Amino acid sequence: MRRRTGLVFVAPALALFAVFVLYPMVTAFSYAFFHWQGTSRGGFAGVENFATLFTRAPFTTDLPQALLHNVLFFVGTMLIQNTFGLTIAYLLYSRPRSRRVLQTLYAMPYLVSPIVIGYLWTLLLSPTFGPVNTLLTRIGLDSWALPWLGDPKTALWVVILVSVWQWIGFPVLLYGAALGGVPEELTEAARVDGATNRQAFFKITLPLLVPAIGTVSVLTFIFAMEAFALPYAFGGSTGNPAGSTDFVSLLFYRTAFDSGATDAIGSSSALATLLFLIIFGGAYAATSVLRRHERRITA
Amino acid sequence: MTFDSRPPGSSRRARRTVLTIAALSGALLVTACSPSSSGSTGAGAGGDGKVTLTVWSWRVEDEAAYKKIFDTYEKAHPTVNVDFKAFKATEYNKILATGLAGSSGPDVPQVRSYGQLQGTVASKSLLPLDGKVDLSGWDENVVASAKGKEDGKTYSVPLARQTVQMFYNQGLFDKFGITAPTTWEQFIAGNDKLMAAGVTPIAVGAKDDWTLPIVHEVLAGSRFGGKAFQPEVLAGKKSFTDPDWVASVKVVGDLEKYMPKNVTGVAQTDAQTLFSAEKAAMIPGGSFDLSVLQKANPGMKIGIFQVPPAPGSPSGSSATTAGWADGNFAVSARSKHPNEATELVKWMTSKEFGQMVNDDIKQISAVPGVEPTDPLLKQMSDNYTNSGSPYLLLTDFRYGAPSGTDLLGKGLQQMLLGSKDATGVSQDLDTGVKAWFKPSA
Repeated sequence: MRRRTGLVFVAPALALFAVFVLYPMVTAFSYAFFHWQGTSRGGFAGVENFATLFTRAPFTTDLPQALLHNVLFFVGTMLIQNTFGLTIAYLLYSRPRSRRVLQTLYAMPYLVSPIVIGYLWTLLLSPTFGPVNTLLTRIGLDSWALPWLGDPKTALWVVILVSVWQWIGFPVLLYGAALGGVPEELTEAARVDGATNRQAFFKITLPLLVPAIGTVSVLTFIFAMEAFALPYAFGGSTGNPAGSTDFVSLLFYRTAFDSGATDAIGSSSALATLLFLIIFGGAYAATSVLRRHERRITA
Repeated sequence: MTFDSRPPGSSRRARRTVLTIAALSGALLVTACSPSSSGSTGAGAGGDGKVTLTVWSWRVEDEAAYKKIFDTYEKAHPTVNVDFKAFKATEYNKILATGLAGSSGPDVPQVRSYGQLQGTVASKSLLPLDGKVDLSGWDENVVASAKGKEDGKTYSVPLARQTVQMFYNQGLFDKFGITAPTTWEQFIAGNDKLMAAGVTPIAVGAKDDWTLPIVHEVLAGSRFGGKAFQPEVLAGKKSFTDPDWVASVKVVGDLEKYMPKNVTGVAQTDAQTLFSAEKAAMIPGGSFDLSVLQKANPGMKIGIFQVPPAPGSPSGSSATTAGWADGNFAVSARSKHPNEATELVKWMTSKEFGQMVNDDIKQISAVPGVEPTDPLLKQMSDNYTNSGSPYLLLTDFRYGAPSGTDLLGKGLQQMLLGSKDATGVSQDLDTGVKAWFKPSA
């Protein structure tokens, strides 16, 4: 009876979810398996659209490059954002009086749209009129006044660092909450036994934070693999300059909406499906590893 | 060491949430592909017995001008209401594809031209207009923008001719005793003089790759042969590895010293600002840039010229103005009022409409015999009429992916960054378009 009542309450949300998410999702999956002429569906294509992604230009060159950039974006974001995020969260945790204000300040940039952030930083980093290069030149660091977004060697790093700048508040909040869940008596007991602060952090707090780090890592992975707005604001749909900030989502956008190809829906659906599988597969693998780790430390 | 409490962030619910987010984030991207369900267009007869035609466009900035134009049409056609709706240009392709496939699309959509029209044609979303509108006597290159590649039928009425040329600051030219060049030597001498005076000679925004094929057309269109090159390459007699094409790509690289420092970091808006702030004397651009440049610095006197042929240009090659058509209007196959919609696009072939395109929308009308009133637009129009050539990579090499403009834009960036030479850029272009392009011969 209680189960049935519960279902009644869940039904409206479930219906909306089914109509607006599940149904379009399943139909869109199916598009990848058909031939297309514009928006008219043709015959069954099997895995032909998927084969196209690995055999036909521009996918043969653009897809591996874009995927590599997604992976580099993930690795860069993981290392920088999460390291700094954890450090800041730990420092804030030991300063309860200023914690709330600083947490809010760190979280503020992610309240702004990534498109706005991208355009803002594009203006700041402009080699022609940007204040960053003007400042560097004025203080005698001319050699540092680089075309930040115009050189493939620096452009991807700019995307990573600005993304870190925007989203650093997110791991700060999550790690802050996780730190609050670490039982204080454990670290106190360790200190009574003679452990230093450093030992207490690395031997007790950090191992207990691993599940939270794992959760943040998986969310960062999802975020990095589907990155679109910030790279689009920085390098347009083609990942300027010379494809150095190209991402899989940008390639999907170009294929679906910018190309003159009449079979764009088929190949772009196949690309979207592939990206879905990568994201889901990666997230599933990572959570499995996490689960094993949790079992070990809770055993 | 064992713990009684579960470590933070480790609950099954949390893991499930993460996996759900993973599934949904990918799903949302997949869903982005989804065309809407079928239906018929929502336009209909109002209570007053009038037929309402919905017109869609990506020109938000021209909304007032279009309303004025369609007011004129409504006065001459009292039984018709025209409901004009403009959408953000960058979102328009998605909105139109969904609208034409669904139940609330337009009767008369503004559609892309040449290669980018083909997806809409292939969807059978547009009515063929052969026998209904008369485009005889129109520029061949302009008419090609409106046709289906496969069936050769006409699916739209071209709105405007766009041309590309070099804009220059007449005040700066006068200050340094430079006149619009008619020979390559004069062009180079002018650049040298400006550079020596500390003025950036040519403003280029190479950070935005889409601008670079235009820069190539303006600086080196005559170097590869302009109009004469088109039939040769379409027939397969020449390719993009042809020595004249390779040399034309090299011209852009050779002129890099006259462009802003770190040019691949300079956005097109920065390049336009350099020109408007009178820190740069020239800027390659399209007719569509004129009003932007005029508004940015109303006090600046702007001139235009065709860049003279670079040394080694094919014999008979002269300075050229590359052009194409865009902004075309079509009739939706789902329109409930195909006759009235066809009548409206038929009116768009009239000189009355063409003149309003010139005067109100400030574009060069595609209608033959209509003269722009703005002297610079008229000069662009005359240049195209007298010595025009197709903007080849747009008019003929956007019928598949990768497109010619995408390939050359990326390649020229690589050349300006020093990672490829002109031969490599041309080879990549040739290989890239051969993925879908089949010569007519």
